[in-house]
Amino acid sequence: MIGESWVTTTVDKLEEWGQNNSLWPLPFGTACCAIEFMSVVSSHYDMARFGYEVVRFSPRQSDVMIVAGTITDKMGPTLKRIYEQMPDPKWVVSMGACACSGGFYRAYHVMQGIDEIVPVDVYVPGCPPTPEGLMYGILQLKEKIKRDTRRRLKEKRADSDDSGSAAA
Amino acid sequence: MAHPSTPQPYKYTLAERLYLPLLSGMWVTLRHFIGNVFGRRKSYTIQYPEERRGYSPRFRGHHILTSRPDGSLRCVACFLCATACPAECIHIEAGEHPDVNIEKYPVVYDIDMLRCVFCGYCVDACPEEAIIMSNNYDMAFFDRASSIVTKDELQKPFTYDPAQLGYRPRYPEEDAQRAQAREQVRAGTLDLVAEARRRHGEAQDTSAASAS
Amino acid sequence: MPTATIPALPLLEDYPEGSVLPVEGADQPTWIVRREVLSRLALELRDNPETQFDLMLDLCGVDYPDRDERFEAVYHLYSLPRGERLRLKVPLTEADPVLPSLIDVWSACDWFEREAWDMFGIRFEGHPNLRRLLTHEAFQGHPLRKDYDPARRWILTEDKIYRPDPQPPGGDTDDDIFERMTINIGPSHPAMHGTFRVVACLDGEIIVASEVEIGYLHRCFEKMSETHTWQQVIPYTDRLNYCSSFINNVAYCRGVEQLLGIEPPPKAVWARTILSEFSRIMDHCVCNGTTLVDTGALTNFWYMFQPREEIYGLLEACCGARLTVSACRIGGLLQELPPDFEARCRNLLETIPAFISDVDKLITKNRIWLDRSVGVAAISGEEAVNRGWTGPCLRAAGVAYDVRKAHPYDLYDTVDFEVPVFQGGDVNDRFRVRMAEIEQSLSIIRQLLDRGMPEGGFIVDDPHVALPPKEDAYTQMEAMIYHFKLIMDGIQVPPGELYSMVEGANGELGFYIISDGSGKPYRIKVRPPCFPLMATFSRLMNGGTLSDAIATLGGLNVIAGELER
Ligand code: SF4
Ligand code: SF4
Ligand code: SF4
Repeated sequence: MIGESWVTTTVDKLEEWGQNNSLWPLPFGTACCAIEFMSVVSSHYDMARFGYEVVRFSPRQSDVMIVAGTITDKMGPTLKRIYEQMPDPKWVVSMGACACSGGFYRAYHVMQGIDEIVPVDVYVPGCPPTPEGLMYGILQLKEKIKRDTRRRLKEKRADSDDSGSAAA
Repeated sequence: MAHPSTPQPYKYTLAERLYLPLLSGMWVTLRHFIGNVFGRRKSYTIQYPEERRGYSPRFRGHHILTSRPDGSLRCVACFLCATACPAECIHIEAGEHPDVNIEKYPVVYDIDMLRCVFCGYCVDACPEEAIIMSNNYDMAFFDRASSIVTKDELQKPFTYDPAQLGYRPRYPEEDAQRAQAREQVRAGTLDLVAEARRRHGEAQDTSAASAS
Repeated sequence: MPTATIPALPLLEDYPEGSVLPVEGADQPTWIVRREVLSRLALELRDNPETQFDLMLDLCGVDYPDRDERFEAVYHLYSLPRGERLRLKVPLTEADPVLPSLIDVWSACDWFEREAWDMFGIRFEGHPNLRRLLTHEAFQGHPLRKDYDPARRWILTEDKIYRPDPQPPGGDTDDDIFERMTINIGPSHPAMHGTFRVVACLDGEIIVASEVEIGYLHRCFEKMSETHTWQQVIPYTDRLNYCSSFINNVAYCRGVEQLLGIEPPPKAVWARTILSEFSRIMDHCVCNGTTLVDTGALTNFWYMFQPREEIYGLLEACCGARLTVSACRIGGLLQELPPDFEARCRNLLETIPAFISDVDKLITKNRIWLDRSVGVAAISGEEAVNRGWTGPCLRAAGVAYDVRKAHPYDLYDTVDFEVPVFQGGDVNDRFRVRMAEIEQSLSIIRQLLDRGMPEGGFIVDDPHVALPPKEDAYTQMEAMIYHFKLIMDGIQVPPGELYSMVEGANGELGFYIISDGSGKPYRIKVRPPCFPLMATFSRLMNGGTLSDAIATLGGLNVIAGELER
């Protein structure tokens, strides 16, 4: 019994470590924030240092979607579709005031935050956030993934304890 | 004046036909490569979070609500900042202040950081220098409720470090002072936390002195 | 406000009494035209050697709910040979908002008419494809009408999405129909810069028909500006062409300043000119960098982005933000320039050329690049003008129109610079024009720096326009009162209307501003320079391969924020 849970926990931890240190981002950039996103991947900031090595434009190959820029109602269905195409586990970082809440566009064609249609893990405020701001958000996402794994493991352990005692 | 009716494309020179200029192009990349590998030049990358870009003292970052020497907020809940804000992201509720000299004070002062576009209009509008900005950009939230920053958080004392102040009304004579503080922090000769405490203590002393 | 004289009207005789009425006292020659004579007049204005209005700059609607004839369609025309402007206004009733389409006169009208239909519900008879342009397929109503609630949204569901199916003219009689394939690119595709959608019908490798769909970044700038005060519009203008925000700031502030009849102080004008040129360099760097990335030359992207980071540093030192600067205020600048402004500028002048010359050495004579770009998406000067082009792309087609030379503003009449012109009208020449303009911009900046920073304040000393200095606002009663009034009521701009233009990084950036004296803009219409470029994209793509199309889009430098506002 103990042996089994030890193995799964270790595998889970390994998996978490792998995931956490090699997240492939899918930039969903539409507007000014996308320009700042370019700065993050270019030489000055170089996001690859955090494992965001390969920028993938294909949803099938990416783990974290970075929504950079205003999402309008016209873009909404596309965003949702792309999110659905991403394989699990997946995360969403919402970069900038527009993606987070609509920003100062309280207007007839702007979605008031992408959380209307997709779940968001980290919100990064700013208009646009500075490159460091986005990196801070990315580091926060790492923390969150770690936390989530830890919680999942705990639940699992509790579960297996339960089932173990039930079997006994 | 007639406009040209047919485009006349660029004509290749002989050298270009022979791909010769490619060589000079390769030399450019080679030069950069050598430069980067053998470290003749310093690398451009900023090693965030250990290292930070030196933003100017005008940077428009997280807001700060400033305090009077007695620790209460300077803000008099006049709503000018909320009026000037294009994103309408400042929420204020005014209350009567016990001190008769001060008309009002904010019972609630919230900024919705996710709406804010960091334009600095609130700072320009404030007649009391009660709201200024820091050059702190490390912000991220896990849900929308926590992004509404309340007055207690806006008042956090880290913001009293002179080197961390951002966009605010300008007094040019301060520039030198702030630049000096920056240098000292960089050189490690100035401990900001201690300095902030010292200032805070001083302020309390003077307010106590004036009260007695 | 300058009052323009009305030009001689050699053509008025032909038209019925009262169908063409000049307006007195406008900022530029303005005629009120009845719609019955519009097509005839437009054709004559274009072809009459006395007028030669060959460039249709802008068409927009305006809504006046209180008038009998509620709508007004406003055309802004420009004559390149004569350097003159003309505004035509056509009043329309709410019951019958129909105009003849002017596509046959100026092809530029195509998308502009669709936009006017979308925003105001003005119909254009004879338009081949009068669909909504900016809003989405499930949208109802016409948002820029005054009775439309700014926050009223409509939700687009997947089943309502429009599915274009472009077919080449002439139908498919041949049996090569089996070779045909329709593909959809975008809207979320890196080559489409994230916000455009192209549906192309391919015959083998060649695009035979295509349709471009935009509106994925329509952020309602114009409606938003009607709900904010004059000063609050400035942050919104930043986000139009976000590669060169500063130029937008200048263009808007200049317009409002002209309406107010004030002049910013010399120091502000000086700094505006310098920073505009830096912004132009930045924009050209981004454009050329991305074009090269789209054609596979990734290295240049890093070289091109380096100067951009440096310029960001300068802008940030002036105003506190890198990209969305909001560095201008009506009447001057946001703040005093930083003490090391000149030193920083000089430093930039020394560092930028190195990066530019790296790219120059890598690309300009590189046969691989030349093969990808020479003759690709070529357009003649004549056609480009007819399609409403301005800016570097027009100059690449052999027409030397630059607002800085033709109608100098700020300090451009006091500096020496050339307008680079190339004859190819293709992707390569668009690239070369931009490279040459970077040089010219650097030289303009150098000349201005050599002249030295003018003395004086950074904003006008007028308490009705500019906030009083903070020290005064804290201590003096009078300043405090002005401060309150200015924040609470905003700047009071007298009623009037004006079209003001600057040379944006992409071409003529115009602001058509109408004030009704209420403290908020009544209507602001931006003349986005890349709008006509994008409208031509479909025409440029057809007949080329898909990879050419992608290089073309990069070279046009279409910025979605400005295109769709
Ligand atoms: S948050 Fe600001 S910078 Fe980002 S897309 Fe929106 S308007 Fe542009
Ligand atoms: S910075 Fe601008 S958007 Fe943010 S709270 Fe201040 S005025 Fe509002
Ligand atoms: S403008 Fe200043 S004093 Fe007035 S409510 Fe805002 S922060 Fe307080």
